[in-house]
Amino acid sequence: MKKSNLILGLAGVLILISLIAWGYQINKGLIVTNMRNPFSWGLYIATFAFFVGVAAGGLIISSSVYLFNIEKLKPFTRIASLSAFASILGAGAMIFPDMGRVDRVWNIFVYPNFKSPLVWDVVVISAYLLITFLSVYVQLLPDWKKEGRGFLNGWTKSHPQEYVEAFSKKWSKRVALVGLPVAILIHTVTALIFATQESRGWWNTAVLPPDFVSVAIASGTAFVLVIALLAVGKDQFEQYKEAFQRMALIVAGALVVHFFFVSVDLLIHGWWGSPEGKEVLSLIFSHYGFLYGTELLLPAFTMVFFLTKKGKNSFNALIIGSLLLFIGVFAHRLMLMYPAFNSIPLTLAIPGAGIESWAYPVAIGQLQEGVPVFVSSWAYTPSLVEYAVALLPFGLLVFVVTLALKMYNYVPQK
Amino acid sequence: MRLGMVIDLDRCIGCRSCAVACKSHNAQPPGTWWNRVFTPGASFHQAAVGKDGALQMESLPVSCQMCDNPACQKVCPSGATYTDEQGVVLIDYERCIGCRYCIAACPYGVRQYNWEDPKKAKERVGYEKGYEYGYPEDFRDKDGRLVFTPNRPVGVVEKCTFCAQYTSQGEEPACVRGCPGKVRLFGDLDDPNSEVSKLIKKRQPIRLKEELGTSPKVFYLAPAKPIR
Ligand code: SF4
Ligand code: SF4
Repeated sequence: MKKSNLILGLAGVLILISLIAWGYQINKGLIVTNMRNPFSWGLYIATFAFFVGVAAGGLIISSSVYLFNIEKLKPFTRIASLSAFASILGAGAMIFPDMGRVDRVWNIFVYPNFKSPLVWDVVVISAYLLITFLSVYVQLLPDWKKEGRGFLNGWTKSHPQEYVEAFSKKWSKRVALVGLPVAILIHTVTALIFATQESRGWWNTAVLPPDFVSVAIASGTAFVLVIALLAVGKDQFEQYKEAFQRMALIVAGALVVHFFFVSVDLLIHGWWGSPEGKEVLSLIFSHYGFLYGTELLLPAFTMVFFLTKKGKNSFNALIIGSLLLFIGVFAHRLMLMYPAFNSIPLTLAIPGAGIESWAYPVAIGQLQEGVPVFVSSWAYTPSLVEYAVALLPFGLLVFVVTLALKMYNYVPQK
Repeated sequence: MRLGMVIDLDRCIGCRSCAVACKSHNAQPPGTWWNRVFTPGASFHQAAVGKDGALQMESLPVSCQMCDNPACQKVCPSGATYTDEQGVVLIDYERCIGCRYCIAACPYGVRQYNWEDPKKAKERVGYEKGYEYGYPEDFRDKDGRLVFTPNRPVGVVEKCTFCAQYTSQGEEPACVRGCPGKVRLFGDLDDPNSEVSKLIKKRQPIRLKEELGTSPKVFYLAPAKPIR
């Protein structure tokens, strides 16, 4: 009880810090970020993509219980749905501070342009938010009825407990099955925002959407795993061990697929040997080598670790493996931005001068002492304000999960 | 009517007059340039490039290419970016939500964001107080959409409009008028007798990044200086 209050307080502080920073940003404009015209999306969009990825786990776990009859995972369908709801809420919230005119976002709903993948994403993310909420709701109904509390459940008063139990069972299954394709879609469509852009070679590949799905299955399942471990605690670890091992296996399997996609993607970027391809490879392996190394090595470690006995047999090992994976996946999301924006689309060959690739400089959009007006690459690192604002989804997620775990019972007792 | 432009690179001396005329006529805030002129291959403008002692120095002006297949418009979630009945790609400053998707999408690096309030920016960099430059009034298209305003709202994207405030009156864009070399020609691509259409037929024009299928309405006549 005490501990959860402390966590709630901390989450509240995170949310508060981010709201203050956001207010400051609204007042000054996005000039307080380190994004500029040549590098126009940064930490916010990367964080958004990270949370979308984490949100997958919920419905993948709950629907696999029904689809593949993995009974072992059954105790965790509530936690899975809750974690999915909290992450997609965080993802949605992260988008708003990135909008320069957040006061006008309603224009998307009044004048939607259905050719824009961003509009598709708004549709599927809203749908997922609703579905994950319903999923938590229907699963909690029987408990609420028993304990005589909850919300939006007045209608259950006139029904017997058995009816509510049966209703909950039936609808949990239905929601999970409808939710699965939507869970796949949020990653596909989020990836399509990038993959459709032929101007950015690093994004413009058909492997991006399936790769997003595989990373999402890995990081989303790992997220459910972490919350389930924390909710159950070390003491009851043995009791649910098989479920945890099953989740670790899903994580490792999804990562195998991810690395397969990464390899073919790199091969295709490199094989032809065009100046654009060479530039991307030199950006990821030398210029942003550290970040790219993080993206590759940490998840690779988790993959191997979770396949070993040692990796999936203890509470601590599972937590550490998952945390390393999260860091790797976050690096993956940041690495969506760096190679894409730092290879300028308008590059030309000047054969007479023996130049194969020359980037046409872009105006940065700010006149500042000591900073050039036109650049052909922009060394982006997030500003302090950006870091502060990006705390928003983290705060929201921790807050929602902790509050929900504190209020209701998410691990049904046997 | 499809408005388009032909730029004769043979005549361009790289003086950047068009960039300056564009900047002041369209009241661009500090650090924002709708129209740029660079020396291809060089790390700064007007530096010769070459190998084996054979140097060359061309200039290439680039502003919005007014694509017939504009990626910027397709990605715009709110329909703020649109093509008007003359084929000009415009931005409604009252509709734009500042998502910057269009900046990521445009292959030509011509879209620019108002990272700060233009008025504050002018003050911060020390432009003379009370000095206002550029077309002094708002300009709305026939549907009332705000496509030019001297001080843009903070948080919206802007770019070349082919000087909508002038071309709608039948006048030419500022860069066309301001170019001392008469490098730029402007007109209706749908009219086979317009000067631009004739030139496009007669000379073999190039378009930038044609392989991306954006179908620009800005055509370049390659420099054909007799180097031999
Ligand atoms: S050049 Fe860029 S901004 Fe202009 S129409 Fe084409 S895609 Fe849009
Ligand atoms: S920044 Fe404005 S013009 Fe560009 S895509 Fe977003 S809403 Fe459209």
